[in-house]
Amino acid sequence: MTNETVLQVNDLTVQFGGVVACDNLSLEVHQGELFALIGPNGAGKTTLVNAVTGIYEPKPGASVKFRGRNGEMTDLLAYRPHQIARMGVARTFQNLGVFDAQTVLDNMMLGRFMHEKTNIFHYGLFSSVAVKKELAARRVCQSIVELLDLQDVRDELVSELPYGVQKRVELGRVLAMEPHLLMLDEPMAGMNAEEKQEMVRYVYRIMDEFKTSVFMIEHDMGIIMAIAERIMVLEFGREIATGVAEDIQNNPAVIDAYLGAEH
Amino acid sequence: MTSVTETATPASRQILAKRTPTWMRALPFLVAIASPVILDKISWNPFGGWKLLVGFLVLVGIGWFAWSNAEHDPDDPRLSLKLWHRADQRALAAVTCFVLMAIPFILSTDWEPPMDFPWNSWFRIVNYIILFALGAGAFNLLVGYTGQLSMAHAAFLMIGTMVGAQVGLIWEQSFWLCLPVAALAGAVLGVFFGIPALRLRGLYLMLATIGVHFIILLVWKEYIVHQFGFSGMRFTTPNLPSWLHWIPGINPEDGEFLINSQFRWFWVNLGITTVGLLFIVNVVRSREGRAFAAVRDRDISATLLGINVPRSKLVSFALSSALVSVSGCMLSYYNRARSEDSFHLELVLDYGIIIVVGGFMGIQGAIFGSIFFFALPMYFEWMREELPIISDIDFFSRYAGEIDLAIRGILVVVVLVWRPDGLAGLWQAMKKRALLRMQAPRRGVVQ
Amino acid sequence: MDILASTFFDWGVNLQLLVSGLALGAIYAVVALGFVLVEKSTAVLNLAVGEFLMLGSYFGVAFFMERKTNIFIGTLVITLVMALFGLAIHYGIMRPMVGQGFFAIVLATIGIATVIRAVVQMWFGPLEKGNLTALPTGTIEVAGTSIRWVDIIILLVVLGSVGAFLVFYARTRTGLHMRAVASNIEAAAGVGIDPDRAYAITWAMAIGIAGLGGVMLGHFTPSVNPALAAIGLRAFPAAAIGGFTSVGGSIIGGLIVGVIEQLAGGHFGTKWREPVAFGILILVLIFKPTGLFGQKDLERV
Repeated sequence: MTNETVLQVNDLTVQFGGVVACDNLSLEVHQGELFALIGPNGAGKTTLVNAVTGIYEPKPGASVKFRGRNGEMTDLLAYRPHQIARMGVARTFQNLGVFDAQTVLDNMMLGRFMHEKTNIFHYGLFSSVAVKKELAARRVCQSIVELLDLQDVRDELVSELPYGVQKRVELGRVLAMEPHLLMLDEPMAGMNAEEKQEMVRYVYRIMDEFKTSVFMIEHDMGIIMAIAERIMVLEFGREIATGVAEDIQNNPAVIDAYLGAEH
Repeated sequence: MTSVTETATPASRQILAKRTPTWMRALPFLVAIASPVILDKISWNPFGGWKLLVGFLVLVGIGWFAWSNAEHDPDDPRLSLKLWHRADQRALAAVTCFVLMAIPFILSTDWEPPMDFPWNSWFRIVNYIILFALGAGAFNLLVGYTGQLSMAHAAFLMIGTMVGAQVGLIWEQSFWLCLPVAALAGAVLGVFFGIPALRLRGLYLMLATIGVHFIILLVWKEYIVHQFGFSGMRFTTPNLPSWLHWIPGINPEDGEFLINSQFRWFWVNLGITTVGLLFIVNVVRSREGRAFAAVRDRDISATLLGINVPRSKLVSFALSSALVSVSGCMLSYYNRARSEDSFHLELVLDYGIIIVVGGFMGIQGAIFGSIFFFALPMYFEWMREELPIISDIDFFSRYAGEIDLAIRGILVVVVLVWRPDGLAGLWQAMKKRALLRMQAPRRGVVQ
Repeated sequence: MDILASTFFDWGVNLQLLVSGLALGAIYAVVALGFVLVEKSTAVLNLAVGEFLMLGSYFGVAFFMERKTNIFIGTLVITLVMALFGLAIHYGIMRPMVGQGFFAIVLATIGIATVIRAVVQMWFGPLEKGNLTALPTGTIEVAGTSIRWVDIIILLVVLGSVGAFLVFYARTRTGLHMRAVASNIEAAAGVGIDPDRAYAITWAMAIGIAGLGGVMLGHFTPSVNPALAAIGLRAFPAAAIGGFTSVGGSIIGGLIVGVIEQLAGGHFGTKWREPVAFGILILVLIFKPTGLFGQKDLERV
């Protein structure tokens, strides 16, 4: 464990009844890297993210350590999901977690929730404090809107936008949280090649501008091999291999379990 | 296909970008300046003497309010933080203010025969509309914005009334002390009775809150029987605090300024309702309100944005209950008498009808809904008495109450089937269409 | 509470309260079944069930009191007429409202309830009628206490018809369609079941059963009056304790709540009935948030 570690998961097991969704998994995400998690459907990828972000409770004995901005290590298992989010772990959802009934801008403003804390009476009376906070949040959101090229749809309802744009809105929302670790759950699912390329470009821009580490679940092997620094392969909740792209591509177990089925 | 909707510029922004013609912005201002003159011309001068000057100043204030900031850069975020940020919204707000200020004067004037409607009973209705709008707005904060289906609404009206009776009647303190105490009690109990909401959702929460209603109803019945006997509560007339007597126009009789007429109640009700509703509107359009909506739509997503979902729910419960409790206290003082069965569960459903028929997604809905709820029966009554053909039919006058009930039920269903977003949605659609029509001829074809 | 001392351990009184509680519980079970059927298949909370029961009772007045119809024919006609109302509600109101929020649809049923209440008062006048007497009215001596025949018959009729319904629901093709649509409407439509038809049948049956319950209620209460509609509200705990999605659970919930209410009302005074019933409901919900027999829906993230 080095100073560069952002997230360290040890011996994580999640069980639903008789099904072991994650079986004794351990992994490490380094500062500033793009770590990818791949595996066939039902391999336990999303479950892992859910356990890290506090939605599922793993079996005792696991540890999920996270190094926040301030450099301190904390064990995330002791905290509730919203506290974990406030420490700087942000995530997107496989099946979209955007708020349909709100505008793009309001979705981003929700991402600023934890950064503009004041007494509710300030907001109720719309005092100068509240105005200042709201304006600060809006400036940040405006810059994210520009970063993700969403100016044209800023005031539209999210439900009226195409799927690809909604995914971008969700990305923008987690960006507004200024995360230290960004967990993307299949950010490119259901996109065409062009949209995928665009998404990759946005992810790179984010990593450049915010110095964020990215943990990504993705199905598209071509893209993963091209962009991820390290890759972990899961099957039936178990780890098959971890390493850089070339190692994974040449790993016989991975070829059998995953690539073999495709090629 | 190049329709307007596909140009990716929402209608609201098109309107923003368009400069409003000067005459339109000046209109409220001109009306404000002209109105005393007009009032004087039609030889009806409710303000009288120096009050004319005060009225004039107030109206100029409204005009200025409508005028100011109408010309700012539409992309400036500060503009969109304004409650009414478009010129038409400001103009409408100004007109609403004007109408609201005119209503009590109109209703308290003795009119000549062609205009001699039973104005005074309308006055009562107007006051009820204002008070119910506050309660309905607070209810909507909880049900509409936070998505917590609570039926404990009447319970908090009871709590407000009990606080009002305890503080105002038994401890003989001022009415003005009752209100903050009622708010405080409402907030605390709201948090307490909101605890089931942390575990239950939807239907089950609704049932648990009906349980809360019956528990508080039991407390209420015990309280009223032990403290006031079977004749029920008789509330005293509130008095304006003496330190407010320096305000011109407030002429204390015998050292007191009793709020004892519909005219005086109107201003008290209007003031408190306005403050309460503006508070809700401000909460809803800023950080906490966005969190409420997030909790309503997807609570797991909300959690992962750093929103403490239980806390948000409880804050919503506290705020809503506090305001409902205040409105309960006000309603009881306004109503003067309260008895054992003043608060049925049906009352909650009445509030539900108000917010759903008025429109779920907005405080406007609470106001429209209250108007619908109270003005309609009044209108029917007037029809039954005045319209020649209808007043002749014996059946209508014999079953007046039932017919009102039936028509209200049918209208509720019709509104819900025909316009899911309620009367407020209808109003907004009409407004949008009118605005677009005003723009269209000059703008020509888009793209 | 001096009443407590005198009657609490009087087993004769307790038996009487138990039997009338079971009869009341049977009526609650009917109302709860009305809630559960509609809620389970169409995801609509029908708050007008109580009004439909009251309407059934008033039809009972019209048939049995004013025209002296045979009890079997009259009940059958009432049930069928009420089923037609159910169809009308589905096609006239619920189908156009598909896709609207839960609360909006609930309030639409309240609109229906308001109309029913108004029409009943216009039709029968505001005065209350005596109770129905088409069923045998005598009493029977059991273990030293007299028990009303009506209570026993109500219990048997309701259990019998609900049992028949359950068999229909579990064994017939239409019942299968209704269950399929209730559990997953899209998948059901995908295999060729017409959800619209299943919904219509659900509404017809729910309201028809409410009509039957209304006739029984008219025999149970001392008088038929518009306030009977409140039974809809009082049956809420029954439906919820059973779990809002379980047909069998609603019957058990109804019986439990009926007995508890009668016992509480008999020993402590009637004002305790609702608080006790709802207090138990809250307790159940705290420990089992979806009722005793309700399904817990899993949420995928």
